[in-house]
Amino acid sequence: MTEAIPWIEKYRPKTLKEVINQEAIVTALTNAIRTGNIPHMLFTGPPGVGKTATAHAFARDLYGERYIEDGHFLEINASDERGIDVIREKVKNFARTIPMAGPGFKILLLDESDMLTAEAQHAFRRVMEQFSTTCRFILAANYFNRIIEPIQSRCAVFRFKPIEEDGVRQMVERVARNEGLEVDEQVVKELYRISEGDLRKVLNLLQTASVYSKRITVDLLYRVAGLAAGIEARRMMELALSGNLTEARKLLWQALYVDGVSEREIVSSMYSELFYLSIPETEKAKLFSLLGEVDYRISQGATPEVQIMTVLSALHALSGKRS
Amino acid sequence: MGLQRVAIPWTEKYRPRRVSEVVGNGEAVQAFLEWVRSWSSGRPAKKAALLHGPPGTGKTSLVIAFAEENGYDLVQLNASDRRSAEDIKNLLGQAVRAASVFGRRRIVLIDEVDGLSTVADAGGVRAIASLIDRTEVPIVLVANDPWDPSLQELRSRCEMIGFRRLRAKEVLSRLEEICRREGVSVDREVLESIAERSKGDMRAAINDLQLVATSGSDPRRVLESIPNRVIELNAFELLGRIFGAHRFSEGRGTLANTDLDVDTVFTWVLDNLDQQIRDPQALHEAYKVLADADLHLRRATRLQRWELMKYGTILLSAGPGVIKATVAEKGGRFEFPARIRFMQQTKDVRTLADSILTKVTRRLHMSRAKAAVHFLPYLRLMLKAGDRGIARHFRLTEEEIGYLVSRAPELRVQPAEVRESVEERARPQAKARRAGTASGRSTGRSRA
Repeated sequence: MTEAIPWIEKYRPKTLKEVINQEAIVTALTNAIRTGNIPHMLFTGPPGVGKTATAHAFARDLYGERYIEDGHFLEINASDERGIDVIREKVKNFARTIPMAGPGFKILLLDESDMLTAEAQHAFRRVMEQFSTTCRFILAANYFNRIIEPIQSRCAVFRFKPIEEDGVRQMVERVARNEGLEVDEQVVKELYRISEGDLRKVLNLLQTASVYSKRITVDLLYRVAGLAAGIEARRMMELALSGNLTEARKLLWQALYVDGVSEREIVSSMYSELFYLSIPETEKAKLFSLLGEVDYRISQGATPEVQIMTVLSALHALSGKRS
Repeated sequence: MGLQRVAIPWTEKYRPRRVSEVVGNGEAVQAFLEWVRSWSSGRPAKKAALLHGPPGTGKTSLVIAFAEENGYDLVQLNASDRRSAEDIKNLLGQAVRAASVFGRRRIVLIDEVDGLSTVADAGGVRAIASLIDRTEVPIVLVANDPWDPSLQELRSRCEMIGFRRLRAKEVLSRLEEICRREGVSVDREVLESIAERSKGDMRAAINDLQLVATSGSDPRRVLESIPNRVIELNAFELLGRIFGAHRFSEGRGTLANTDLDVDTVFTWVLDNLDQQIRDPQALHEAYKVLADADLHLRRATRLQRWELMKYGTILLSAGPGVIKATVAEKGGRFEFPARIRFMQQTKDVRTLADSILTKVTRRLHMSRAKAAVHFLPYLRLMLKAGDRGIARHFRLTEEEIGYLVSRAPELRVQPAEVRESVEERARPQAKARRAGTASGRSTGRSRA
């Protein structure tokens, strides 16, 4: 058997022309390339709408196929780096030299930049200033308001729209043609609904389902979507609610310490699951508030496991009171 | 002041010669005697005993006294000896064979097993464990803190016999007796003070006594010059103190009196919480107190504002006890932290999971945290369904594939017509939607 490429890689736009659903942004970026007037940029918008992919496509259009190999473009993921010092060091090494050919500057993409604390962002702002003659920065972030104002004001801000149903359809059709899948209109609608306009999710769902069957049914989609809602926040909460706090805690350990799930992801899944728990609505008020406190505290450097346990133990205290 | 007196440490000179001279810890002594005597009526259930407890409580002394009194040869291995696997085999391999009919009976004593450093004494623990497995004579191990994870192999093989700190009264009476036999007179007040500050460590008390009695100057002044022996509470004692606190004033100084760092203490308290407090509401309150403690401790560390530490430490030191007191529960036994055990047990799979994430994120433009949630669940399912092409793309090893597959949930599909099944795990709205499909079939066509 040959290699199979993940579809999220395979169907990533190579050029700006292939970017789906972000016409205004594509026009603006294409103009920027034409005029050579390229500012620092901030790409914001929900996950899976093409922020990272657009940054790459932009760089490829600007520098050519070998934009990475020739050292024009560097991607740093803020969530993977151990603090601003490491990032600063990387930027320094990258931006120290200007390539002979090209427009006279490099591009650095800082992905998931909203994962940096406010303090780190201030430090990064200084880095931007220090290297702005040789380097343009593209910052990608899910949440605009998590980026400090001094950075916002130095950047041209591009708000990526959630992918609309038509964008999803476009992608699904392209994939189906290419991969020989049987997909009907209902599947497109459901894909759009389940993914909430996240193309990464659309592609992952389609690829996984296709391993089971080339004929994609709504039922198959639901199964895959259900099983891949991986982090088991619901099971964790259900266990606590049924009185088994010890097992709930073990699932939390598994997610945090083995599977590498981020605490932020766990907390936000717990938020989404809270709606569906069968407990009195009045109790949910307290739990949402507690969860908010937990989220805030973790962002302030408190220990995720310890903080999250307050919510699980609150559910545990409700066992027996289920509605 | 005779020279000779100074030459022999009193701790050696007045080491108990008979079991009856061992001060305090009656239960532990009894348990030891029962265990060692069970050897004469065939094989005991456990062929080794692990005597554990704070220093100076008579663990080693008991074994030496018993051997001396009952005519056993004592083969002894100390921390000062080298104790690699090789050394242990060479030094003790013969000793654990049964003596001849005419030979003397034998006890093997290995002191300070908690001091087996994993590097210098590579394989030491393993070697001792295998020694226990084939021994024909009693083996006694001694340790201050036997709960170190690396000693798990030994604990499971040993009769565990715990020693407690001696009471001040017990120490005092021994000090008085030594004074009598030495023919020195020391004020009772001074002796009391020595006993008190020894915190139940007889060796420390006798050393202090010798210093005071032989210095020739004013005993009180001498005593003042000796640094106060700070009690070093081990984790279990510490838990007893923390969960036993009824007032916050009892928590002051608890953490100052231990050489365990705050994070370790935190883990021990956190992991014992649900065993100590059963009432769910109180348990929740206790988790909240610990979460608050965590907040203050982290904040102090992050900002390097060390004066803020105290809010965290006091909450940790007395909070759980105060809450436990409100529900008047007895609480179970203290346990070794389950999380530390979990981390040990999952060490191999964590390495695997880590290398998988590294390989996957190298190719996808995603952070590790994102890939863990937004890609791995799909990858697991694809691999489970037998797609090896994708594994090749990421250069996954067989072991990594195996691990991912083992973590994948079951997806049962009959390709053309997928049955309704209990595995439905989609959201409630989805369920409602599906409930409308009377046929239970999914044709993927109009479903309105």
